[in-house]
Order: sequence, then structure tokens, then C-alpha cells
Amino acid sequence: MIQFENVTKKYLLGTTALSQASFQIEDNEFVFLVGPSGAGKTTILRLLLRDYLPTGGSITVDTMNISSKKFRQTEKLRRKIGFVFQDFKIIPEKNVFENIAISLRVLGKQPHDMRSKVNDVLKLVNLEGKEEVFPIQLSAGELQRVAIARAIIGDRDILLADEPTGNLDPKTTWEIIKIFHKLEGKKTIIIATHNTDIVNSLKKRVIVLKDGAIVKDVRKGGYDI
Amino acid sequence: MTDLLTSIRRTPYQSLAAFLILFFTLFLSTTILISMSFLHGILGYVETRPQVTAYFQQKISQSDIFKIKDDLTNSDKVESVKYISKDEAFKIYSQLNKDNPLLLEMVSSDILPASLEIYAKKPSYLPEIAAFLQKQPGVDEVHFQKNIVDRLLILTSILRRTTLLFFVFLILMSTVVLTTTTLFKVAMKKEEIELLKLLGASNWYIRKPFVQEAIFFGFLAAITSFAIIVTALLYSEPFLSSYLRGISTLSIAYNSYQIIVWPLNPLFLGICFSLSAVFGMGLAFWGSYIATGKYLK
Repeated sequence: MIQFENVTKKYLLGTTALSQASFQIEDNEFVFLVGPSGAGKTTILRLLLRDYLPTGGSITVDTMNISSKKFRQTEKLRRKIGFVFQDFKIIPEKNVFENIAISLRVLGKQPHDMRSKVNDVLKLVNLEGKEEVFPIQLSAGELQRVAIARAIIGDRDILLADEPTGNLDPKTTWEIIKIFHKLEGKKTIIIATHNTDIVNSLKKRVIVLKDGAIVKDVRKGGYDI
Repeated sequence: MTDLLTSIRRTPYQSLAAFLILFFTLFLSTTILISMSFLHGILGYVETRPQVTAYFQQKISQSDIFKIKDDLTNSDKVESVKYISKDEAFKIYSQLNKDNPLLLEMVSSDILPASLEIYAKKPSYLPEIAAFLQKQPGVDEVHFQKNIVDRLLILTSILRRTTLLFFVFLILMSTVVLTTTTLFKVAMKKEEIELLKLLGASNWYIRKPFVQEAIFFGFLAAITSFAIIVTALLYSEPFLSSYLRGISTLSIAYNSYQIIVWPLNPLFLGICFSLSAVFGMGLAFWGSYIATGKYLK
């Protein structure tokens, strides 16, 4: 379970990225964070990864209070979370297999376990047979699928995606969303997006943000700011 | 190993710089270590020689010599005194010149003087002992090695200090170069490191490949520099043999252990290599740890 209680994040120059945000996300829930650029979507994701620390309030993931400055289990927290970036963050010098297996290596999995796990996840994201291909030979959609594979492999409990379809054409966007849809109910999924079509058609929980504040939190909602 | 070789292939110039600085440092350090060991060996050898030798005139009787010996023995400044009779002196002379019959023919035991070999409790007592002996009747000549020992002690002391300064300089220089080259490598993998951190990698997991690579270079540099030094030592062995003629062994003492430095022996060389490898790998670990630490902060 993820819980935000009156979370505020101010940057050094005084900009308020998030103001008094409170919400709770249950295990295996599928949630969209929507809002215009600068609304605070990415800030929420970065706070969950403990890449940022909140200026005020508290954030709890499972039983861990990750907003505390004394929190010393950032690595353990991050091993629970898979993250999908808008710019994919695929390592160009590594092939598809290596890019995905890196997530397992961090988790301390043995090399002999990796091949079958990577193959399973490649099947899920429709990239079978592309293990040895290098990123330069892949399309944007395929790169994002590699990123998703990397984020979901190793049984990570939470999947965060920051504008995962931001750089993709409509057809590929839907292919990627189908992958997220397949994972529904298996892990907690939080997607930050401003793609109205996806949000409106999937009818999932939507948290709407504007100027750093939560303006709406609706079950089976749509993109309606 | 594959990752390590890939990293070297992708950053050949930084890798070469890291290797060369470690090679340079270890080559100089090991050369200094071996030279200092030889110098200490020579110092130890000189210190085991009689520190003061008094040669007596032919006319003096053995009882008069023994009286002087007793006076010295009873003094609190002398460790031991050894009497060398004319016959014993001839035996030593014969042994030293056994390969030269001409020299043996020219000398008989009558010509060689009796002598006293004196070992002082402290080198600072040597001038006083020598002065005492020179005043004794029947003493022909007094030799004492204070000058040689003093010079060797001064030389060792200067070399020790210079070496210490030099080592500090080498360590600083190597650390700076290694840190810089590792920082280059870290910067080239900046995005990968950011990703690893977000995936939950520990700091050690991120550091490990850089540290491993640096330690590999440390070990490689130790092997290369040592191979060159040993080749040079073996090549110059005949020259050293003739230079150290008459000295059967040179050794250095470490606690209760005696390590033979000359003639060259595998134990001494093994210790030198081990120290060089540990120093090289330690330096490499330190440099890469600082570089990655700076970034991971």
C-alpha cells in the first residue's frame, strides 16, 4: 500500500511542485496521474522512488516511512519498484537481453536463472527473438517495450511509468498500453500521462493534479481537468 | 572478466593511463625497496665486522696484550674483545689468499701482527676506545670503522627520509591520475549508473566494476614492473657479484626473521613482489574508491 499524507515538495528556488497531497493506493491498483506539464505528476513518482525527499508530510510504502531523513533502506525500496521513463533509458552498448537482465543482476539473481526469466518477459512484451539485438536496431515502440520488460522483471511489486507513451505514435501507444493492461491486478501500476485517449478509454482510477495540488481523485474516471 | 575487457576496449586511453601510472609507481617503489634492502644488508654486514682493531708491535708480549684486553673487557663501554694471535692472523690471511700462491709465499706468521678486535656497546664509544688504545704501549696501529658506519647510517637515514617523501609524492600522483581516469570512465557510464541506482543497486554494486578494473591494472602493473626489475637484477648479477666480492651473504632482519637479500633468493624476491602487488592493488582500490565515491555522493 502506498500512502501520501499532506505531502509538499518545494524546490530550492522556491517553486512548489506538490502541495499538501494526500491519497492512498492499494496493492495491485491501477492508477493514472494526469494533469498538464508541471502539475506534479513526475514529482510524485520521483518521491515514491525516493529520488526526491518531500519538504513536508509523510510517504509510506507498505510499512516503510520513506519520507524520513533517517530512512536507510532506499535500495530495498527501489528493488520493489520498476520504473518506465519517457526517454526509455536504454543502455546503447548493451543488447536487449543485457538491458533487461541488468534489473535481475541488481536483485542479485544468478546468471543461470536469467535466461528463462528474460525470455518469459520478452514474450509478455512481444519481443521474442530480439534478445541479441542492440538498441540502435530497434524502433521507439520496441525500445519502450524493452524498458517495460526491464521494469517488470524480477517480480517488482510496483510499476511506475512517467509518460511512457509520450514519444510514441498512436498505434504503438496502444500496444504499450495493452502490455500495462495485461499486468493489471498483478502489481500496483501508476502511470503519469496527459494522453486523454488512454485515460478516457481505460476507465481506471484517475488522480488529477493541477499546479501541484490534487484537484480530483476518481475511481473509473476520465481525463477531465 | 568479459565486462572488464569490454570496459578496457571502450576506454583504451584511460585504461592505458591508469596502467602506466601504476606501472611507473610500482617500478620505482620496487626498485627503491630492493635498493634499500641491499643498503640495509650492507649496513648490517658492516656492523657485524670488528668495530675497532688494534694491531700490536712485534716486541710486545702476549701478557701485555691480555692486560689491555682485560682493561677493555672490564670497561662498561665494550661489548666484547677478541684476541687474534700471529698464528691465527696467518691462518686468516692464508684462507683469504688461498688462490694466490705468490702472496702466500711472501708472508710468514712472523710478519703478521697480533691484534685485538673490539665491539663497542654503542657506536658513540668508538672514538674513546680508539683513543685509549692509541695511548697503550706497544700498539702499532688502530683502525676503527666509525666513519664507514657513520656514513652508512647517514646515507640510510637520508635515503629513508627521501624515500618516504618520494613515496608520499608517488601515492599522491597515482591517486590523482587514477581518480581522474576513473572519473572519466564513471562519467561515460553516468546514465547507466543513474539507472542502476533507480533500480535499487547498492553503492558497492555500482562501484565494483570500476574497483575491479583498477585492481586488475594494479596487479598487471605489479607483474610487469617486477618482471622488468628481476630481468635487470639477473642481468647485473655478475657485476654485483664482483662488486660484493668477499661478502658471502647480505641479510635484513625483520623481528626474529633473517631474510637473505644477497645472493638473490626466491623468498626475498617473492616478498618484494607480494609487497609490490599489494601496494599496487591497494593504490588502485583507493583511487577508484575515491573517484566513484565522489560521484555516488
